[in-house]
This record gives sequence, structure tokens and C-alpha cells, in this order.
Amino acid sequence: MSALLEVRHLSVSVRRGGERFHAVEDVSFDIEAGSAFGIVGESGSGKSLTLRAIMALLPAGARVESGSVLLDGVTLDPKSRSARAQRRARVAMVFQDPLSALNPVRRIGDQVAEVPRRVLGRSRAASRQRSIELLGLVGIPEPARRADAYPHELSGGMRQRVAIAMALASEPTILLCDEPTTALDVTVQAQVLDLIDKLRVELDLAVVFVSHDLGVVRELCGTVAVMYAGRLVEVGSTAALLPAPRHPYTLGLLRAVVDLDDPIGVLRPIGGTLPDPLHLPSGCAFHPRCPLASEECRASVPPLTRVDTTGGASPRLSACFHADQVEAP
Amino acid sequence: MSETVIPSSATSALEVRSISVTFPISPRRRFTAVEDVSLDLTTGESLGLVGESGCGKTTVARCMVGLQRPQSGSITVDGVEVGSRRSPAERRAVQLIFQDPYSSLNPRMTIGAMLVQLLEAHDLAHGAAAEQRCRELLELVGLPGDSLTRHPGAFSGGQRQRIAIARALAVEPHVIVADEPVSALDVSIQATILELFADLRDRLGISLVMISHNLAAVRQVCDRVAVMYLGKIVEVGETQQVFDDPRHPYTRALLNAVPHVRRDPPPHRLRLEGEPPSPLSRPSGCSFHPRCPRAEERCVVAEPALMPVTGLPARLSACHFRDETFLAAPMLRTSKENQ
Repeated sequence: MSALLEVRHLSVSVRRGGERFHAVEDVSFDIEAGSAFGIVGESGSGKSLTLRAIMALLPAGARVESGSVLLDGVTLDPKSRSARAQRRARVAMVFQDPLSALNPVRRIGDQVAEVPRRVLGRSRAASRQRSIELLGLVGIPEPARRADAYPHELSGGMRQRVAIAMALASEPTILLCDEPTTALDVTVQAQVLDLIDKLRVELDLAVVFVSHDLGVVRELCGTVAVMYAGRLVEVGSTAALLPAPRHPYTLGLLRAVVDLDDPIGVLRPIGGTLPDPLHLPSGCAFHPRCPLASEECRASVPPLTRVDTTGGASPRLSACFHADQVEAP
Repeated sequence: MSETVIPSSATSALEVRSISVTFPISPRRRFTAVEDVSLDLTTGESLGLVGESGCGKTTVARCMVGLQRPQSGSITVDGVEVGSRRSPAERRAVQLIFQDPYSSLNPRMTIGAMLVQLLEAHDLAHGAAAEQRCRELLELVGLPGDSLTRHPGAFSGGQRQRIAIARALAVEPHVIVADEPVSALDVSIQATILELFADLRDRLGISLVMISHNLAAVRQVCDRVAVMYLGKIVEVGETQQVFDDPRHPYTRALLNAVPHVRRDPPPHRLRLEGEPPSPLSRPSGCSFHPRCPRAEERCVVAEPALMPVTGLPARLSACHFRDETFLAAPMLRTSKENQ
């Protein structure tokens, strides 16, 4: 049986200056309907490019080098316009900055109605009706009245709700979220996370949530994948992974985050800096910053392999030769 | 207007007294970004200023360093009230560090040229002495000495923020105001910059004002914290005490909204509904009342003053119910009931 969405050995290259480098390397994962999958990583880790490859919406200069993204077991022909259009009807995306995702000179109701009208071919009145319905679904108060508002008349949280309503207009089965709460205040972030979780349950949506914030992913996602320098370094259920990481980078990231209930004066940053993607270190890209690094780590890239012994339904994967030596956070 | 003044001590590095800032939005209308804010910073102390976007915390910071002139109220640096035009010495005394180290450094100047220019302009050091001072500054912020000949483009975000800190330290300030100094940085290096601030505070005895929406970061670095909502301070106190026992419902809501990484979120989480109202249409009474689960009729009518909380030394709260503890408070709706 195949999953709703399967990402298989995906590699994406990006051109920078005259050189081309792999920004996403051999990334594989499955996502089931109604589940939430979090991808955590720092800037340049390749998490956003992975999302865009799923959506067939790679920026100029980026291309899929190898691997595939299967939706309901069907792969995407990147050269076919209609295949791309079909993919984008099933998969929707929400971006970090809702203001740049919305047209500033059109009323929000008209923007949300555009997909029902033009893509689904509904009548003008039915599209308008559907638009108001969607605005209500995402928690816009008095949707029939607010549909006539322009984006600048709304607050940041309301704009992100409108962007989510637009994403839902094509009745997608998968919602890709690229740091949708990073630009929002914490109290509003909490509301938007609650909304995404509600939509996942009510509409049986598969949610892929990309973030640099482990806390946000913890609130929302059942499964989490950690990316570093273009590769997945650890995958597992959120409940099992966060208390007991099996990759030193995950551990470092968990320790580096300052929590509200941490003891004072015990900051534990990861030493070193993120590697330059054009000059990745040999072997495991994390080895220059890793306290467990050995000769083996400098010589070869550790494969992402199963490290749990329970044989449960949600396997724990780690790309570390020393996965069994990783301490508790 | 209440005349509550935060207790001041003799060794005050920076005092902000009842400042208000308004901005024109049309020829006839102005909106109030900051209203009657008083803060006091003793030498060597660190103060966190927290609140959501639009609450006026950056405007307060700009007033502190003299980039913004308050319409009323006064600012005192090292015991001397500063006028509308600050003297060079007064300008040097309070330095600002910006959020984004990518846009706050001149990409065409080497780090050395930038620092030497600054030292010479303020007549602090010249020639070889200036170069020696640059190397000291770099060492202070944890950068290698050969950084002086390089341009900002050669550095990562965390290193750039260190350069920005070195630039602020170059003029030997008494107070550093840091506006969201780690928000633009990657998670794995945020802690290194927070460590640097804590270290500078301890080693140089510099007073620090850190503006942040990251409450956990403020808790690590700041002795005291002030919470702002819609242009006003709603709670002030010793950081750990405020976080352990908030006496304003907004403070509690802010704390509850922070996602936890290594622990389950606390029970009875208070989820706020709605967003901060526009400062153009400030609600009557307590401006937090439309979002407040504890609000009663009096909150709609009467604005609570920022006043001491009974039994808690050096704690001020602008809530009618400041003497109640909001911690286990069953009268607050929890996240489950909100849905």
C-alpha cells in the first residue's frame, strides 16, 4: 500500500554564481492523509526547497536532479503543464509572509473566490458563496462582510487566515506550510497553529509543516524530520524523538533552544557555524561541529537507517554512525 | 494620570520619565504609540522590554538612544536630563544594536575601517592606538583578529551581530539598547549571542535594555522585565518573579503562548482570542479588556493605573485584579474550553 505522498530520493540543485550545488540531497519520506509532518532545520538546510519541489514550484535556478515525488502513487512529469496544474490543485501551500501572498489591490473575498471560479469552473454566485464559506472556516469573523476588505485592512494573523482560505479553495488533500507563523506574534501564532490543527482533523488534510522552531513543530506534528545541509539526519515520531534524539545535530538543536523553564545561565549553543553549501565538509556534513565525530564520519556519509528496535509503525531513522551514543537533551 | 514612579536608586544609568510619543497620521489626527512610559535602569542592570508587534517597544528604544523625540516626559542619562539635541558624550553613552545584522553594517567597508572611523570621529583613539583598540574590541566579542581586513559579506549572521556589538562597544557606552538582537539569527547560534550579552553585562558592568518577543531569551539575560501592551507598560518586576507569578492577565497569556521544546505545555493554558486592537481605536477603560478573560464591568469603564502589587516588592501591575494570582486561576478559560 502506498502513502498519500511519497518523496523518493529527492535531490534538488541550485545555481549560485556560476556554480551549481545540491541544496537537497537524497531526501525520502512518506505522508499519510490526516497526519502532520514537521521538517525542522536552520536557514539553508533545504527544508523550503523540499516543500517547493513537492508543489512543483521551484524557484528559477533550482531543479530536481533525481528522485521523485509521488502523489497517490503517481509521479509528476515536470515537463507537463497540465500535470503541474493537477499537482497544484491537490497540494496547496501557505507562505511565511501573508502580505506578499495576497494581492494588495483586490478584495480578499474575490481573491479566495478565484480558484472556485476559474479552476473549478463554478458560477460567480457560487464562487462568492464558497469564498465566504472558506473565510468562515478559517475563523474570519463576519465573513460575508469582511470578504469586501482589502489585505491592508486586516491584521497579520487575519491575513494569514485569508492565505490559508485561498490555499483550501482548491480542496487540496495536502497543505504545505512554509514557516506560516514565523512573522506572527506569539499569541497569534498559537491561534494559527490551533487553526491548522483543526483543519487537519476536520478536512483530513495531510500537513507538511516546515519551521526552524522545534516548539512549534512539537505542538502540531506527529512526526518530525530534522534536516542539515540538505539531508535528512533524523526522522521519528515527535513524542519519541524530542525527549531522546538519536542524532547529535538534533541534540545540539534541542539544547541550543532556550526554553522558558530552563535554568538561568546554562546556555548551550552548538559550536561552529553552518557549512557553506558550495564547500560542504567531507563525509557527514555535521562532523566539524560534532562532539562524537570520528575518522569514519570524516570519510563517508552515514546513511539514514533505522535505529529503533521496537519495530513499531513509526520507525526512528538516524544518519549517524554513533546514533547509540547520543545523550539525552 | 497616575503619578506612579518606579523606585529609582542613586546609581541610575538611564531614567525614562512619563514619556509619550505620538505620530501624525493625517493633518488633523495623531496616534499615540507610547503613552506615559516610565522606566529606570541602574548601572549594570539588564532590563527586558517585551510585548507584541505594535506595542511601542521599539519606539521606547528609539527614544532611549535619542533617535526619536518624545512629545512629553524626560530622559535622564547618568543623572543628567538630556535635551532635544544630545551632546556627543550623551550620544556615546547610550548605543543601539539593531535586529538585522545584514542591513545594519555597511557592506563596502572593512570591519577595521568601520571601527577606526568611529574611534577617530569620537576622538577616542587614532592611528596605531585605534588599531590596537579594534583588536581588543574584536576579542571582547569573540571574533578573530584577522576579521579587521574583511568585509561584512565574509561573515555569518551570528558573526555580523558580534561586529554590530563591537561597534556599539567601541564608543564606551554606559547603556546598550538591543532591539530584538537574536530574532534574525539561526536557532543554533542565538544562544551564543545571548551568552555574549550576559558576559558583557557581567564583565564590563554595562547596563542593557533588551527588546524581544522571545520571553525565554529575556529570562536568561535580564534582571527585570517590563511588559508593554498598546503603548503602555502593564507589568514590571524582577524577571523570574514575573514569569513565576504574573500579575497581569496579558503577561500570563504571553507566557502561555510560548511553545515549549523539551517539556509539555503547562495545563490551563490561556489562549487569547483576537489580536491587539489598533492603537487608533484604543478600547475604553483597560485597553486589554476586549481580550481579557478576567475582565469585569469596571475594566470597561476605568483604566487601571500601574501600581504596586500587595506583598510583592518592586512589582507594578496595571490590572484591577493585580492582587490575585493568575497562575492556577480557574476563572481563566483554558485552551480546551476556548475551542
